[in-house]
Amino acid sequence: MTDMALRKTVVFGWYLLAISLPAGLTLEALHALKVQVYLGSDMRRELWTLAHAHGNILGILCLVYAVVADRYLRDEQNIAAISRWLRVGSALMPLGFFLGGVLNFEGDPSLGVLLVPIGGLCLLVALVRAALAAR
Amino acid sequence: MSAIKAVLALASAPIAIGIALWAGFDVEKNDAELPLIHRAEGFVGEQTCRRCHPDQYETWARTFHSTMTQRVDPATVVGRFDGAPVEFYAKFAKPYRDGDRFFMDLPEGDTGRRVAEVALAVGSRRYQQYFERVERDSGSVLRRLPILWHIDAQRWMHLNDVFLHADNPEWNAHAAIWNQNCIFCHNTGPRPGYLNQERKNEIVADPDRSFDSHVASLGIACESCHGPAKEHVDIYRSVAARYFDHFASSNDTHVVNPARLDHERSTGVCGQCHGQRIPNPVENHYRWRVTGPTYRSGNRLTDHVTPVRIDTKLPGGTGDEFALRFWADGTPRLTAYEYQGITTSPCYEKGTMSCLSCHVMHGGDVRGQIEPEMRGNRACLQCHEDIGTDVQAHTKHGPQSTGSQCMDCHMPRMVFGVVEIHRSHKIEIPNPARDAERGRPNACTLCHLDKSSLWAADKMREFWGDAYVRPKSRPDKAPLELPDSVASILSGDPVQRVTYAKACGAEGSALAPEDAALVRVALHATLLDAYPSIRWTAQKSLLALEARLSTGIEPALLDWRHDGPKGTRESVAKRFLAEFQQRSTSALRAPLPTTLLSPDLAPDLRAIIALLDLQSGRAIHIGE
Repeated sequence: MTDMALRKTVVFGWYLLAISLPAGLTLEALHALKVQVYLGSDMRRELWTLAHAHGNILGILCLVYAVVADRYLRDEQNIAAISRWLRVGSALMPLGFFLGGVLNFEGDPSLGVLLVPIGGLCLLVALVRAALAAR
Repeated sequence: MSAIKAVLALASAPIAIGIALWAGFDVEKNDAELPLIHRAEGFVGEQTCRRCHPDQYETWARTFHSTMTQRVDPATVVGRFDGAPVEFYAKFAKPYRDGDRFFMDLPEGDTGRRVAEVALAVGSRRYQQYFERVERDSGSVLRRLPILWHIDAQRWMHLNDVFLHADNPEWNAHAAIWNQNCIFCHNTGPRPGYLNQERKNEIVADPDRSFDSHVASLGIACESCHGPAKEHVDIYRSVAARYFDHFASSNDTHVVNPARLDHERSTGVCGQCHGQRIPNPVENHYRWRVTGPTYRSGNRLTDHVTPVRIDTKLPGGTGDEFALRFWADGTPRLTAYEYQGITTSPCYEKGTMSCLSCHVMHGGDVRGQIEPEMRGNRACLQCHEDIGTDVQAHTKHGPQSTGSQCMDCHMPRMVFGVVEIHRSHKIEIPNPARDAERGRPNACTLCHLDKSSLWAADKMREFWGDAYVRPKSRPDKAPLELPDSVASILSGDPVQRVTYAKACGAEGSALAPEDAALVRVALHATLLDAYPSIRWTAQKSLLALEARLSTGIEPALLDWRHDGPKGTRESVAKRFLAEFQQRSTSALRAPLPTTLLSPDLAPDLRAIIALLDLQSGRAIHIGE
């Protein structure tokens, strides 16, 4: 069970990086091409930059977790559960930031941004459980 | 113990952020506490708007509205404060800098000197004016300093020389008080705070006046056009209110969007400043100088002010107090009367045109607040689509000719302001007889600079029918057979002279460079004009003509100073005129019929002087 859960997390981490890194290149291209729909909205720029950054960081976190979990965390069930929380949180946060910048209005993000606190909560649960399991 | 550590670890970041926010720099609070700033009457300031409207803030921050009035620091001062002396009227000033502070060493009286510290800067596009703070018994005033920095020309100029005034060696003749003048239209939510209300029956400026002035924002900021925003801000601090109204597409946002107003109220938003006015009723003047104008965006402007027109009369006045600011037919001839122009145009009176039909406040070219395509025929063809299908049939000019540009005929450049000539905002049909008889420039002859108003009238009749007749005479009595430009430059009143002097150098005129002999002679004669701003305009036009076809005078013209010492300036200008024939015969053609010039291009000085003698003896002094 542990092996399966960690494998899923590794695969997820690579996919997340595979999406988030090209997203960064895309954002650079939007700058280079001076695409007004992107550059004209401070809110959209900020949210999509956050989506890109969080996707990369959380992708790396998933990979690091998969490497260290087996060695430092006790209890297989815990490892599997933490993996799930981590994957769900890592998916929701960048997705929420991205959706928040789609159809946003000037001063506020779109409702897609609600995925961010949900994702953040999932990550918090994963973090706390990992810390407790490592004692 | 471990659990406590975990909780502390989790809570540390939110606590640190909370402490930083509580103790850290608050840009809104800081702005509200700056000198000159108030937060009365529901004004909140642009930094509060920025929180929710960052994009609108950015598009505003790049405009000249935002930098209209600025505190003085190295980032805002554009003038050259390098300590080099700047001479006007045989006296000199020394603008200099000490660290981040800016000073002017100025002449005082006949021989004395004084030092003034610059406290405020007004203007950021064409020129920047400087104000010193003068403390009085109670309160203070901000007084204008006598020289300004011309941004395009990159040079200091005397205030007298940028207005339409004759030479005046009195250095302090234009020491206007910001608190009772500029504050109204160069700031948001002005409250002059006049402190001498016991003298409330005085309308005339009093040198003993003092003020405790405040504004909601220095410069023209969000709340000038959108109205005081406190109620809006209070409501929309709530996330729920924001999302609810967004998805409900509510228009009742407790703040004004000028684009959603009817054309009368929308035009009034701009007209509160771009339309010189007096309070309505005029007795509100007393209230204005304490708490400021009562108009707020979205109101009907005329409920609060009376826009100044040619026949507007002040109590106890003669009725012609404002006459000189208009052409004789009532068309505005100074800037800041655009509201009067647009509201007397058929497009406004019979249609729904507003300022926002052409101008944009959050986009486009900040030089004119206009999208590039609106500088061309697109602006008019929005409504007059039928003309767009065959422009030439309407204009009787080639499709690429400037005569096929709607605005060149219907909004000609004949409005003076900030030492420039601007488009009239009264949209109308050119009529050579009306224009010549009323002493105002005519769209046809502003482009056909070598043609008379008789020629223009004949052409109009040929194109448009018998409604167009020949003019009978000019008010200045100059011969109608002369090119309108030449007659106006030599015999017109100061606004006519400067308008045509400018037109002579304009790009795209119908005057071939080699046919500009007569116009050049008139411009040379204008280098002797009594008005420095007219001399400068003539000099620039001569340089523009010289750039198109050289007669070899350019180096000497560049050296000539329109505001130099009178003796030198005039002797060189007279020499230019005397040498005209010798310089021009190989480059320029003699005009037909030859008036003022012999067939071999010798200026007829006697005839020129006779035309100059026709200039009205009535001095025109027009400031801003």
